[in-house]
Amino acid sequence: MISLGSYLAISFFLFVCGIMVMIARKNIIAIFLGIELVLNASALNFAAYTKFVNHNLDGHIMSIFIIVTAAAEAAVGLGIVIRFFQLRESIHIDDAATLQN
Amino acid sequence: MDYTIATVAPIVLVPFFAFVINAFIVKKFTKFAVGLSVAAIFTSFLFALRIFLDFMNVYSVGYHIHKVFNWFDISAGETIFKVNMGIYIDNMTAIMLLMVTGAATIIHVFSTWYMHDDPRFGRFFVYLSLFSSAMLGLVLSENLLSVFIFWELMGFCSYSLIGFYYEKEGAGNASMKAFMTTRVGDVFFLLGIIAIWSVVGSVSFVDIYNAIAIGKFTGVYALGIPLATFAGFAVFLGTVGKSAQVPLQVWLPDAMWGPTPCSALIHAATMVAAGVYLSLRMFPLMELGHLTPLIAYIGAITAFGAATVALVQTDIKAVLAFSTISQLGYMVIGIGVGSYNASFMHLITHAVFKACLFLSAGSVIHSIHTQEMPQMGGLRHKLPYTFLAMLLCCFAIAGVPFFSGFVSKDRILGDALVLALSNPVYIPVALLGFAGALLTAFYMFRMLFLTFFGKPRDHHIYDHAHHEHLGWNSNIPLLILSIFTLGLFYSGSFTGQGEANLFGSRYEWFSTLVHKPDAKSLHHFAEYTSEEFGNTDTRIKEELPKAAYDGRHGLSEEEAHHVHFIHKMGAIMSVIIAFSGIFLAYLMYVKNAVNPGWWTDTFAGWTRALKGKYYFDDFYIGKLIKGILLPFNNFLAWFDMVVYDKYAIDGWEAVNRWAFTVSRWFDDAIVDSGMVDGTGASVRLMNVVMRTIQSGKIQLYFVVLIVVLASYVWSLSF
Amino acid sequence: MFSDTLFLLSSALTLGGAFAVLYSKNLMHSCLYLLGSLFGVAGLYACIGADFLAATQLVVYAGGVVILMLFAIMLTGGASNKINKFGLKKIPGMGNFSTYMIAGVSAFVASLVVLKIIADVLKSQGPTNLVANEPTVFKLGVLLVTDHILAFEISSVLLLGALIGAAIISRPRREIHD
Repeated sequence: MISLGSYLAISFFLFVCGIMVMIARKNIIAIFLGIELVLNASALNFAAYTKFVNHNLDGHIMSIFIIVTAAAEAAVGLGIVIRFFQLRESIHIDDAATLQN
Repeated sequence: MDYTIATVAPIVLVPFFAFVINAFIVKKFTKFAVGLSVAAIFTSFLFALRIFLDFMNVYSVGYHIHKVFNWFDISAGETIFKVNMGIYIDNMTAIMLLMVTGAATIIHVFSTWYMHDDPRFGRFFVYLSLFSSAMLGLVLSENLLSVFIFWELMGFCSYSLIGFYYEKEGAGNASMKAFMTTRVGDVFFLLGIIAIWSVVGSVSFVDIYNAIAIGKFTGVYALGIPLATFAGFAVFLGTVGKSAQVPLQVWLPDAMWGPTPCSALIHAATMVAAGVYLSLRMFPLMELGHLTPLIAYIGAITAFGAATVALVQTDIKAVLAFSTISQLGYMVIGIGVGSYNASFMHLITHAVFKACLFLSAGSVIHSIHTQEMPQMGGLRHKLPYTFLAMLLCCFAIAGVPFFSGFVSKDRILGDALVLALSNPVYIPVALLGFAGALLTAFYMFRMLFLTFFGKPRDHHIYDHAHHEHLGWNSNIPLLILSIFTLGLFYSGSFTGQGEANLFGSRYEWFSTLVHKPDAKSLHHFAEYTSEEFGNTDTRIKEELPKAAYDGRHGLSEEEAHHVHFIHKMGAIMSVIIAFSGIFLAYLMYVKNAVNPGWWTDTFAGWTRALKGKYYFDDFYIGKLIKGILLPFNNFLAWFDMVVYDKYAIDGWEAVNRWAFTVSRWFDDAIVDSGMVDGTGASVRLMNVVMRTIQSGKIQLYFVVLIVVLASYVWSLSF
Repeated sequence: MFSDTLFLLSSALTLGGAFAVLYSKNLMHSCLYLLGSLFGVAGLYACIGADFLAATQLVVYAGGVVILMLFAIMLTGGASNKINKFGLKKIPGMGNFSTYMIAGVSAFVASLVVLKIIADVLKSQGPTNLVANEPTVFKLGVLLVTDHILAFEISSVLLLGALIGAAIISRPRREIHD
């Protein structure tokens, strides 16, 4: 039951859900949610591969870095969102389509 | 002294640089500028004196210095047109240089007194410096083209100085008249230069002499007349314009509008003499073209006609102006009768005494502020030094023995007489020459007596004239010049005839050094051209034994005796004529024994003609200009307005308008709509596409990313 | 048995959370569903013996990121009108039919590719031989400061930069007088 295939299936599902969230939603924060899902899917893949194939801890290290990156990205991204909201009073992704100003 | 262009050029360049500097600083530093001009011309004088002494030391007929550098070369294939600039100094040049710089220095010094109160004091010296430089450049010139350049430069200076008092309408008109009249001669001169070049292929004097010596001119015809005749005549017309010969003499009397020192320098001593100088330089060509009788006639008519007009003039400067024309006529007679060295000597002597006369007249005018002789009289008590100078000069010009005019003029008249006795064609020339000499003596002493003798006719003017005192720049220059009116300086003998035995023949220097360039003396020009002696030493010395001066000019003893006899006869006639003229004037204007009014009444028609200067002005202005040139001008204007403007210009406008319509249609329809707007439209279309892609919508990018990535991975997997 | 149960629960929580994140029309709710999904992932880590990873997942995500997001949602929410003064859409757009269709197509394309890749992996995989789980914290610690020290340091710099950047970006800006 606990096998590489099941883990890959779960992470695949997470990945597809993340992509759909990223594309379907028009809210910037919601898009962040999708990004978190995709990142989790990849981190889960690393952990699964290292468990079932490599039998060492390199995948764990990669997962840790992914988590670190995700945290940093979330912090900066949400800061940008807040800033954007302060300027435009909006968090609609299409309102951020202008390339200047 | 080793001559190079660099050691000789300062003669020209020092006054020229003085001119350039003064032109900028004259308004602020007038005194300095004047001093600079005087210093510059004096420097030139020292250079010229050095050259003169050197030539006197060599004392050889054939000695000349010829240095050139190539100025420009526009030869094309067979046609050679290579123009050199350079110097050509022979005995004549050396004498001329000394005369020009000396006269110019004295006149500069005199001008510092005469022009002192003038508001344009400094500017006068600017022009004088430029003029001196141009004149010296002309004298030193090696070829006709540079002669022409300096010639025109002098014409410009003359124009500026005649119109110096430009507030007066007459001065402006006179300057224009002088410029335009001399322009007629200058055009012919240029034509002559071109004609000469067409044969010789060069305009250098040396090349021209060379071409004459080797016979390049024989058999060359232009418009059916020999080219030598044509070219010589054209060049001579340049002389006619510049030296105020009939029929282009009308400008010189009007040139007296200028300040008196400028009249002395330009219109008496140097510039008008430059015309004669040019003719002397081109004498072999004139002789080759058989132009000498024509030249002699023009000179004789000028000499006599101007002398007659001078009889009735009341303006002191007008008398001098006509006397200048008359004396220039004598020089031209000298050229015409082949009296080459006498003609040149008369040029020099005339320059000296006429400059002195003009300066004396200037001194009188400056003292009493009028030029009208009827208002003068008795001035010898007030102006003793001026009177002395003018008396000497009048003796000189009248041809009294021991004075320079006698030496030079009588040689011309003697040669004319010799020629007239052998060739009847020249009889009128000799007659007019002697008659002119009589009139010259008469009108000069008429002027002198009216001015300085008798009772003061206008007491107001007389009383206001100051007693003159010796001043270094007022009457000392006159006295210096008047000393040089003595014939002794020009000829060893007092009479000017024959050899001098006083200090040996060496002191007959004038006739020894200046020789008519006949076939014998041209032969060494046949040996070289200006090309060959580009920068090498070109001294050609033909040592003449100093003691063995050939007074017979190559004639046999019998002929020489004959010629000598006629010369003596001529000299005696001249003396008689001169004294009778002076005596007549004395009777008329001092003793009042003969009433001049009776003559004017009896010959009223003649008097009117003389006062009207033979109606040359009326003819030129009334008939030529108003009758021919003005209608022609009007016709041209009409042609311009009606034909050229209406058809050519307006027609061209219509063509342009039509072309404009076509081109506008082309512009609008094709260029604008098709190409410019088409470019815009295509860019706009691309813009729509690109803008759609570059929407800034991040999700669209993401979708595209996924699609591209997917297709890439998909393509990898096969 | 325990691990199987944990695996089933975790995977159900993960998948359900993910689907709910996708499905929910309420931003706050979807954020909370994400929290559930992340909890599930932590459980999945635990199932394969990645104890440190599971703990990190919980601490960082549940304790950090999700709370941060909730703050962000609450700071940017509370709109009464639909268009703000800049003419921009103020409402939290949670997608409509067309966006979902696009998303579905994109996901289908992406999943085709991913499936094509992992199909080979699954086919080549032999029978699963599970090794016993053992604590990983000590080994991970040693690895992080020996083999992966460079990446570790870089990530620390990254975090510091992110911290400063976030602070600078979101700090209240002074009025510009000009």
